[in-house]
Amino acid sequence: MPGADKETELSERIEAFLSELKRCGSGAGSLRGSAETARETTSLLRRITAQARWSNAGDLMEIIRKEGRRMTAGQPSETTVGNMVRRVLKIIREEYARSRGSTEEADQQESLHKLLTSGGSSEDNFRQHFTHLKANVIEAINELLTELEGTTDNISMQALEHIHSNEVIMTIGRSRTVEAFLKDAARKRKFHVIVAECAPFCQGHEMATSLSKEDIETTVIPDAAIFAVMSRVNKVIIGTQTVLANGGLRAVNGTHTLALAAKHHSTPLIVCAPMFKLSPQRIQIFLRSFCFLLPGEILSKVNAHCPVFDYVPPELITLFISNIGGNAPSYIYRLMSELYHPEDHEL
Amino acid sequence: SNVCHVAAPDLAATSRPRKADKDEEEKPLQAVLVADSFNRRFFPITKDQPRALLPLANVSMIDYTLEFLTSTGVQETFVFCCWMASKIKEHLQKSKWCRPTSPNVVHVITSDLYRSLGDVLRDVDAKALVRSDFLLVYGDVVSNIDVSQALQEHKQRRSMDKNVSVMTMIFKESPPGHKTRCEDDDIIVAMDGKSKRILHYQRAQALKKLHFPMVRCLEVGSDEFEIRFDLLDCHISICSPQVAELFTDNFDYQTKNDFVRGLLVNEEILGNQIHMHVTRDGYGARVSNLLMYDTVSSDTIRRWIYPITPEANFADQEGQSCTHSRHNVYREPGVSLGHGSQMEENVLIGRNTVIGANCTISNTVIGANCVIGDNVTLDRAYIWNRVHIADNVKVKQSVICDNVEVKHGVVLSEQCVLAYNVVVGPDITLPEGTVLSMHHPDEEDDEDEDEFLSDDNDVGYSKDKTKQKVFNPAEVGSEGKGYRWKSSSLDDTEEDELAECIWGLALSADPESDSESEVSEGSHDLGSHPASPELDDVKVFQNEVHGTLQRGLDENISCDNLVLEINSLKYAYNISLKEVMQILMRVVLEFPFQQQGAQISTAQYSSHLLPLLKKWAPVFKNYVKRPQDQLDCLASMEEVFLECETHWAVLMSMYQLEILEEEGIMHWFNQGSTTDKSQQLRRNQGLLKFIKWLQEAEESSEGDE
Repeated sequence: MPGADKETELSERIEAFLSELKRCGSGAGSLRGSAETARETTSLLRRITAQARWSNAGDLMEIIRKEGRRMTAGQPSETTVGNMVRRVLKIIREEYARSRGSTEEADQQESLHKLLTSGGSSEDNFRQHFTHLKANVIEAINELLTELEGTTDNISMQALEHIHSNEVIMTIGRSRTVEAFLKDAARKRKFHVIVAECAPFCQGHEMATSLSKEDIETTVIPDAAIFAVMSRVNKVIIGTQTVLANGGLRAVNGTHTLALAAKHHSTPLIVCAPMFKLSPQRIQIFLRSFCFLLPGEILSKVNAHCPVFDYVPPELITLFISNIGGNAPSYIYRLMSELYHPEDHEL
Repeated sequence: SNVCHVAAPDLAATSRPRKADKDEEEKPLQAVLVADSFNRRFFPITKDQPRALLPLANVSMIDYTLEFLTSTGVQETFVFCCWMASKIKEHLQKSKWCRPTSPNVVHVITSDLYRSLGDVLRDVDAKALVRSDFLLVYGDVVSNIDVSQALQEHKQRRSMDKNVSVMTMIFKESPPGHKTRCEDDDIIVAMDGKSKRILHYQRAQALKKLHFPMVRCLEVGSDEFEIRFDLLDCHISICSPQVAELFTDNFDYQTKNDFVRGLLVNEEILGNQIHMHVTRDGYGARVSNLLMYDTVSSDTIRRWIYPITPEANFADQEGQSCTHSRHNVYREPGVSLGHGSQMEENVLIGRNTVIGANCTISNTVIGANCVIGDNVTLDRAYIWNRVHIADNVKVKQSVICDNVEVKHGVVLSEQCVLAYNVVVGPDITLPEGTVLSMHHPDEEDDEDEDEFLSDDNDVGYSKDKTKQKVFNPAEVGSEGKGYRWKSSSLDDTEEDELAECIWGLALSADPESDSESEVSEGSHDLGSHPASPELDDVKVFQNEVHGTLQRGLDENISCDNLVLEINSLKYAYNISLKEVMQILMRVVLEFPFQQQGAQISTAQYSSHLLPLLKKWAPVFKNYVKRPQDQLDCLASMEEVFLECETHWAVLMSMYQLEILEEEGIMHWFNQGSTTDKSQQLRRNQGLLKFIKWLQEAEESSEGDE
């Protein structure tokens, strides 16, 4: 039974992915970058599309939603997974609409008029069967994968527009995107990077080592010195874990301090964030769900809490640099509505 | 079809060598999980449920161990079960580990014959289960340590020095006083600073003096070696297949301790080495008693074992996904909390549990489907599933097992244990360390064909003892159901045994342990002989001698054969001749106590001992030859009789049986006595009379000449 084999192989893959998500965790001690997670999620979703049993878009969306819920539950702090699920759902919607012949715009536009007239849920409309739908969806997911492959390059390509000679740049912790961004700029320009070490995990140390290997003048400072050093800094460039719908950030612990210091000294704060980090999830969830990780030694009867993420409000951010160009925080909501369908915000 | 024919051999040609390569380089990592503790630490709880299945933060302990193994990349696990094997098997079959998609294939191997870790590993060898290096863990290990680095080091060592290093033990750095350190697992390790090779390994439990074989440490020729007391044995070891073979070759190895010590002692002969890996991050602990249960549970709730946290639901059980909110409060679905009830911090509440009004809950784990009344205070309570707790109950650092009913007004003081199905109350205060169970403490003799203890241990019970199978209202309350198990804190006078003993409930259950600890105490206090080679060995040796003599009595074995057996034991445990003598003496003298209980009268004692002495006189004569031997014997006798001096008549019979000679006795008597007690002993009327009689006899014999 080749069909059954395929099914089990598929569920095996999903299980393996889930358990890996649970184990590696994300947060500060992430073993893999979120770019990799995004790619893996997307290729898994492509596999589901190709191998799962479905006859129309409605079924497929249901399957993807179900698996998506499981995957996001596996590692709640990693929003990339949910984002990719939403992207794929949106792709299916678009392809379905295209197959039906209607324009995607019309389907997507949420006008007051439509809300009043539509009545029943749009789910009914996805029941029609199209023979080419599968191929089209897979094709579109492949495009998405290509886009994901190029995100870091696309971001670092813009580096020269933002980093000028002899500037002093500050960053915090370790972000692969920022690392690539700075290294790209260093090929043409000379500048000085100050890295806040980001205790207690001190990812900043890794970042500094990596930068200095590329002959970038690098200084590591303790987190407490951020404010003191800020007056000499021309630009702050940071990465983030998630970009929220309001243009705020959920970023590594200490980023809020950094952002406030930058605001105080009117230093521009630039966030390098690929589009797949945009998440329509609401902020409240994150504020409650701190991740407490292991620091070193303990004494008995001590509760050690170690928050991993900061929420940074949008008014502290000057510019987002994503793989499709620079945007102000106030524009994020618009990008969000282009990327995800409003009905998919809650999986 | 033509194409097919051409393609097929081609494919085979390319794929075959690749496959062989893979086999050589990365065989799937295997693990041996011993889902049995081979001891009775958790009695009476483990009478109903094997230890590996006890819930820790609402997840069975074995699931933590399997999760740890799977996350370190183990692809095949052999779970060995003995006690209640069917329950473990059933649990595993239902769990996610046995799903076809599991990355870690779990095989359950059960046998009633396993009595120790040694038996399990001998079986591993006999069945040829392991093909390459494997991880060895117990079913109650909770850990998130990444062993891949240690594994790599291990492999490197083995490839560099073919098959010399057989095992890498994983230790976690944790200074004394660290709460995951377990008192009875304290160890002292000497290691080579560079190669991380273990030179000496000793359990530090109740040790007052340490004897280090410096010579050996220096012989190794390393420029630096470390002696460390800040290590916690995580009970995770990376073993090569040779370990199983070594267990087969040395059939007397029972525990890992035997193995490690055996290998180190015989290093020159066997040429095997043991290395260690010390990790600073990560968490690794074995739930070896209830105190550790308390610690590990609270560490889980406090997220020290990240990413193994309650809300991760790693066991993937339906309906167990819980939410995590501030102050480490976790709630599974369907929890209802009454008005004014507070969950202060570090609380985990299982699904569909109902909590009444005005309760205060902190540092507590509550299982599924529990009902808790109003005004209840819970602190460090571990409440399992389907427990009913009525109003106005206070619980402090206690374990309450499945289906227990606690009626209103009950107060559980610290370290109480209510085993399965017990009913307590109403309005009763249970004192500290109370253990209640539906099983009568005595019933185990008849029912279990003692799963864990060797034969010699139930000597202390006489079967004709009448059992009062009536619940005592003073112990469990007027509507209560359950029997009180002997509280260990009351009759235990030795402070060395510490909290572990009170909360660990272990030592109370077996009658042997008291005498064991006396030996160790005595040997140190008296200082009459140099620090014993190894405390454990001496204890084990004493048990063995006792067993041998008991068997000799039962099966009427001749004294020559007994001597032969004792001699072989002597070599097996590396015991000096002097100690053999002293232990033999002690065992024989305590024989009547073992059989009749400690409170027998002098007359009874003598009447029991005399036939034994007569019977075994040749055994003694074999060992007691020189005058010094006699002195050693007497010193050992003195130790035993310090407590009950009335039994001195025995000395007389020893003299008459020509085991002891008068010169020896006189020399001993005239020896300067060291302690008050032994001085007092020497003033004993009976003894004085005997000495006087001896003197007179001597004089008269001299007169004859």
